[in-house]
Amino acid sequence: MPTLLEIQTAMRRNLLDNGDPTVAASLDDEFAPADRLSIYRNTSRTALTKALSLNFPAVQRLVGENFFAAAADTFITRVPPHTAWLDLYGEGFSEFLQSFEPARALLYLPDVARLEHAISRALHALDVKPLEYSQLLDVEPSLQGRLCFAPHPSVSLVFSLYPVDAIWRAVLARDDAALAAIDLSAGSVWLLVERYDSEIKITQMGERQRKFAEALFAGQSLSAALAAADDPDAPAWLAAHLTAGHFTDFALSNSERPVAAEHLQ
Amino acid sequence: MRFQHHQAVLDARPDVPWMEVHTENYMGGGAAIRCLEAIRRDIPISLHGVGLSLGSAEGLDQAHLDRIRQVAERIEPDLMSEHIAWSVSGGTYLADLLPLPMTEEALAVVCRHVDQVQSTLGRRILVENPSTYMQFRHSTIPEWEFMAAVAAHTSCGILCDVNNIHVSAKNHRWDPLAYLAALPPDAIGEIHLAGHSVRQLADGGTLRIDDHASRVIGEVWSLYETALRRFGPVPTLIEWDQNVPPLDVLVEEAHHANVLMDVAGDEVRRADAA
Repeated sequence: MPTLLEIQTAMRRNLLDNGDPTVAASLDDEFAPADRLSIYRNTSRTALTKALSLNFPAVQRLVGENFFAAAADTFITRVPPHTAWLDLYGEGFSEFLQSFEPARALLYLPDVARLEHAISRALHALDVKPLEYSQLLDVEPSLQGRLCFAPHPSVSLVFSLYPVDAIWRAVLARDDAALAAIDLSAGSVWLLVERYDSEIKITQMGERQRKFAEALFAGQSLSAALAAADDPDAPAWLAAHLTAGHFTDFALSNSERPVAAEHLQ
Repeated sequence: MRFQHHQAVLDARPDVPWMEVHTENYMGGGAAIRCLEAIRRDIPISLHGVGLSLGSAEGLDQAHLDRIRQVAERIEPDLMSEHIAWSVSGGTYLADLLPLPMTEEALAVVCRHVDQVQSTLGRRILVENPSTYMQFRHSTIPEWEFMAAVAAHTSCGILCDVNNIHVSAKNHRWDPLAYLAALPPDAIGEIHLAGHSVRQLADGGTLRIDDHASRVIGEVWSLYETALRRFGPVPTLIEWDQNVPPLDVLVEEAHHANVLMDVAGDEVRRADAA
């Protein structure tokens, strides 16, 4: 008699790669066990494919429902979810699409997937109170260079060789004319993705702005970020980050060298 | 209630006594849980979980249980429920309510986990009977006795899904009335109704599939009347979360259940008075 753990391990194999005879051999049913197992497998696949299509609507529209379902099926087998909270399922979908042979022709597809995963993170990030500018007033001016910030969980930076923000907007608006008008050779973009007042906000950043934000979001000190940006406008960018609620906390690094972001949590 | 109904519910404030949502849809921050908090100010909420996997031999996912606790802290639900099933193996979430062998081992696992959940949440939960499409040869406990035993050992309540009883009884040739008769009336905290489909199989047999995609059928309404006579007017929910119809169709089905519940309430009051 198989143990519960053995039955569940075998069932998982059946649902993910069709491999294990243990479950079929343990059934007390008249007709082909494969029929019954396939009901569970179909329900599981349908639910996970649905979760991916909710999390990657623009990718789905770009490739069509059938192609998306086929890609999702392979992805689910390779990278099944580790939690029943499926709002963020699909980390790694971008990398998967990059290596998924049938999708190779659509060069920007993995970047659209990466943008959509950043959007999912922004949409569903936990509600954390942003750092207020007034909380920094007690920091002595001589120590300000050692300020390190914890980024808000809804905020992330996305890089693409293509104008994926324009592609994403045109696809979700079903605006074929706008999509056709996009110049794929327009050059790379750095995008700041965030949730702002419940809505998704995507902002293109210049090269120096991006270096500054990247350093700060990685938990590097303000002086390191200022050095990375090398731009007289950088202090104003810091004020804009604070006003937009991009940070949740701060600390003072022991030196002006970078500290890891987790020290701020 | 699903996301597509948020605005309609906030605008129309439909005349329903309470609403149920899937806990897993409100685990993040942002707009979804904020809407639910707003709705909750006027309408009591039941949090119905689908992903805790009470029957997993490997133990509960503590992070998932913590997320459930956090949703409960914000929403302060009137009821919380989960399923007699499993969905996690080897740390992988399989996204379906999978059947347990009805054994002493599985009963001990489920009872341990229900205890753990109730002590983490600091409250009683309800556990729902599943719809199943296969049975294990080494099962030794009838499902209705398994349900009653979980309630007896953990003091949890039972969410009696009448459609699931009908579906499983047809699939496995059980007696649905004997199933209802074996459940302890005091433990029943909620009833589910739903539509299901009938699938023809390659060998000519049929299997009923719980799919929450249509109206409740006559046989299930009549089993529901039997359940109400035995359990009294228990809060009842109609599950319809695939091919979701407009809100007014859902409200119409809910009113049908209310009429039957009023009848059952009258009968209980008459019996009490006699």
